[in-house]
Parts: sequence; C-alpha cells; structure tokens
Amino acid sequence: MNPPSPAEGLERFLFCRRRRYAALGSVLCALLLLVMLWRIAQGEWDIPLSRVFHLLSPLLSEAEAKTPEALVVRAVRLPRVFAAMGTGGLLAVSGAVLQGLLANQLAEPYTLGIASGAAFGGAIGFFFTAFAVTPMAFAGALLSLALVSLIARRSGGGASHLVLAGVIANAVLSAGVTLLKAVADDKLGAIVLWLMGSLSGASPQGAISVWLGAAAVLIPAWLYGRSLDAVSLGEGQGELLGIDEKKLRFRLLCACSLAVALAVSRFGIIGFVGLVVPHILRSLIGPSHRPLLIFCFLTGALLLAGADGAAQRLGELPVGVITALAGGPFFCWILVKRK
Amino acid sequence: MNQSAFEFHDLSAGYGEKTILRELSGTIMPGEVTALIGPNGSGKSTLIKALGGFLPFTGRLALLGREVNQTPRRELGRLIGVVAQQANVKAAFTAYDVIGFGRLPHQPLLGRATAEDERAVLNAAERLGIEHLLFRPVTELSGGERQRVLLAMAVAQDAPVCLLDEPTSAMDPCQALRAFTLMKELAREGKTVVVVAHDINAALSCADSFIALRSGQIIARGRAADLSAAVLEALYDTPFIPYVSSRGDTVWHPVSSRS
Repeated sequence: MNPPSPAEGLERFLFCRRRRYAALGSVLCALLLLVMLWRIAQGEWDIPLSRVFHLLSPLLSEAEAKTPEALVVRAVRLPRVFAAMGTGGLLAVSGAVLQGLLANQLAEPYTLGIASGAAFGGAIGFFFTAFAVTPMAFAGALLSLALVSLIARRSGGGASHLVLAGVIANAVLSAGVTLLKAVADDKLGAIVLWLMGSLSGASPQGAISVWLGAAAVLIPAWLYGRSLDAVSLGEGQGELLGIDEKKLRFRLLCACSLAVALAVSRFGIIGFVGLVVPHILRSLIGPSHRPLLIFCFLTGALLLAGADGAAQRLGELPVGVITALAGGPFFCWILVKRK
Repeated sequence: MNQSAFEFHDLSAGYGEKTILRELSGTIMPGEVTALIGPNGSGKSTLIKALGGFLPFTGRLALLGREVNQTPRRELGRLIGVVAQQANVKAAFTAYDVIGFGRLPHQPLLGRATAEDERAVLNAAERLGIEHLLFRPVTELSGGERQRVLLAMAVAQDAPVCLLDEPTSAMDPCQALRAFTLMKELAREGKTVVVVAHDINAALSCADSFIALRSGQIIARGRAADLSAAVLEALYDTPFIPYVSSRGDTVWHPVSSRS
C-alpha cells in the first residue's frame, strides 16, 4: 500500500487535531457543569438538585426568591462559583498570553510584577479604609507595569528585559508588602487574609467584574492569536513576518494587567493557575493560541472553581493556599515527566 | 533596464550607539542571487537586518521603489521573506504550522488558513524535501531540519525579496546544495535573493553577483564569476588558491600565509 500523499496526510492531521479539540472541549464543559452544580447544591446546607434548578429559574416568584434557600443559591453560591470561574479563566488566559508574548514559559501575571504591584497597592489601601483596597490594588498593578515597561525600554526594550525588570519589581514589591505587614499592627490579620486569596463573600458585582476582565484579555488575545503564535516562536520572529511586536506587546500587556489587577484587587493573590494551566494544555493540544486560549479559560475556570470548593470544604481555607499547595508539586511532576 | 530591488545610498546602521555599517551605497538587482561575503563581524548580518527594515538606519534605503523606513511593517512582511541567523524556535509548533506562518502577512487579522495557503505550505515543503517532517514538532527536529523548515516558511511567504542569513549553516552538504539550488530557482522566478554564507564556494555556486564586506564597508562587488583571489585575500587576510573541478567550476581554497 502506498504511503499517503502530503495532501492526504494533511487532511488526516487536521481531522485528528479537530477531533482532539472536540473531545477535550466536551470533557472540560461537562466537568465544568458538574463542578458548578456541586458548588451550588453542596455546602453548609445541602440543597437537592431539583430544588436548585427550580430556585435558579428566572420565573421564580418574588416571595420564593426571598426565602433563605433562594438567597443562599442566588446571592451567595452562584456569584461565588462564577467569581471562581471568571478569576481562574482570567488568570490562566493571562498566563498563556504572557508566555506567548514574551516567548518565555515562566511568564505569568507574577513574573511581570503586575500581581505584586496589586498586592502592594492593596496592602497600602488597608491603612486607609477597606474601600480603598480595590482602587489602590488596581493603581499598584498599573504603576508596577508602567515602571517595569520603563526599565525594560531604557535597557533595550526586548521581551527578556521585560521579564528581568519584572523579576526585580516583584522582589522589591514583595519586600514592600513584608514591610507593610511588619508595621500593620491591628490590620495585619486583614492584610494577610486578603493576600492569601479567597473567594468567600464574592458579590455578583465581583463576579461580573472578573468576567469582564477575562473578556478584556481573551477577546483581543484571540483576535491576535495568529500573531501571538508567530511571536511565541522567539523574540524578533514576529517582526520577520510583518508583525509589529512592540505594538502587539503593549496592547496585550495592558489588557492582561487590567484583568489581573481586577482579579487581585477583588480576590487577592491566587498563584499557580496562570503558570500551570497553559503548560498542561500545551502538552495536550499544542501551542496554537486560538484554541489554547479557549481551553485555558475553561481549564482555569474548572480548576479554580474546584479548588475553591476544596478550600471551603477544608474549613474556608484561602483558595490561594490550595492552588499553590496542589499546583506546585503537580507542576514539578509535569516537568520531571516531560524530561 | 530593470528597477533595482534595493537601492541604498550613504546607508549607516548599527546597534544603539555602535555603528557597524558606514555609509554604504549600491544596488541589488531583482531576479538574481546576491551573495554577501566577508569575515566574521564584517557587518553581513547587520546589512541583512538593515535591508529588512529591522534596524534604525541613516541614509536612504529603497525597496522596489519604496522608502523602507516609511513602509508599514505588515507591508514589509509581504515584500520580504527572511531567514534569520539564529534558528531558535521556542514553541513546539509542528513544521506545518511554522511553514504556515509564512502566509500570515497575506491573511487578514481574523483570517485563517485558506486552501491556497495550504497549497503554498505543501508546495514549499516539497521544494525543501521536508514533507515527511510536516507533522512533527519543530523543537524535536535537528538544527539542519529546522533550518529547512524556516527556509520553507520564507518560500511559503512568497515575497518578491528573500533575505537569508546563513540559512544552511547547520545543513549537511547535500541539503545545503538543495537549498542553494532552490535559491537559484527562486531568482529565475524573478525573486531577489540576498544570502549570507560562510561557505564561499557553495554561495558562489548559486550566486549571480557578490558584495564583499569588511569592517562595515563594501570593499568589492561584481559578478560572481569575476571574484578574484585578490578580493578574497583582502577580505580574509589569507591567500586563496582557485582550483578548477572536472566539471569546470572554480573552487576557492584558503591556504596558510606562512606555507
């Protein structure tokens, strides 16, 4: 039998690729649905699934909507699971974008000092009033990115300079946060708890804001997906193909910073999602960004919704602790296995 | 007379404060393979980068009648296919995907590969003889195979100008010969090929003309057949002896100046 021609080989290759996307997408969507139902039905107070569906109906009467059961489902659990999904998706997508943009697989929202900037700003906010935390965290993230960009531009402007400047900013800002904790007195507890990251008490506004943040990074990154592919080949490779790398980097870095600042200011530091999820998915579906970004969103959403459930089950532990404790060893396992 | 592909006048370029190329003037003609030869650090790669508009420069540089520094990057992507000196590919795309990136300058922002793009990719892979590598991740390929993939990407780009910076440095002699033959074919199809190669004999086997660079200046230029021992000695500070093969080709060989 003759070997297949290149055109036939290509057709088979593309078919297999599409089939893999469809299989993974179906599994992720099914798991996400299961986790959502688990998070809404289970908790301190278990509610039967049939009742959950009834309570989630838009046709629920006004009187019934005010019952404690309905309030728990609609005002507490639903926003919390959506906040977890939005935050997880946002962090994973940002990680994938930053890794592609900087052609550096260690890049994630923390590498560029974005998250540390938000943590530093938010911690300062605690010294004023609880309402100042979110805007201050937001300002901290943007200021940190501006500083990192300035240092990178003055020192050459390449992706490697951005990562180096980010690492330095990260170290300085982390020291700044430690200093603030040392002088915080009675506010120390609140700062530490916020920094550890938690989704308990997520409001509908909080959930909506992280979904908007996720959209702000996912949509432009998906549109520029093919350019992101070329840039991720290595620094300068995109320029060879007619892509303005500096402009692309600026636009997508801004989108990522806004989104991550939004997530950190609302729910604190939640590590490892942005680093681990893109790595796992690249090994499953390859590095093409358009599918990668979609699957990153789904997996990040699934992972954080699950981790938040585990955190709650273990006595309302900070979800950042769960993601770091589970994500760290898992990441090491992937690295060793790949070698 | 044909319009020149590149026309440069008092062209100076470098990195930051350091100037490498000093007030070069000349033209590069279309439909020809032009070999850039010279010792290490003579400015060959810098000239390739300057011609591609990847470096800031002073002086005048026109590509097919257009001022390079006023041409948008995307337009340059359609006009120039480049193979850079460093063939590092960091992401594990398949060779098919990487060759397909050559079609990016022809696709709209929201676009995806069309049947024509797929044909161009398969055609480029066939010309480089890498159909069997198409569905393997480039990170798993050898250096020479990766160079063939990147050269195929430039072919798929289908730009009127190809700037190739040591595109065969990691290839075995047979594959290098195939690559140089392809360059000659591209030139016969009307494209302009500028190639940097340290293997002077391989480069001259396909080149129509040469530009000899030393210390950022053009010390000689002309038809490839007219390259002389004096020019090579002036370039490399080493005497070169020509041998004529049984097929009548001239092969240059450096000899120790003390022997």
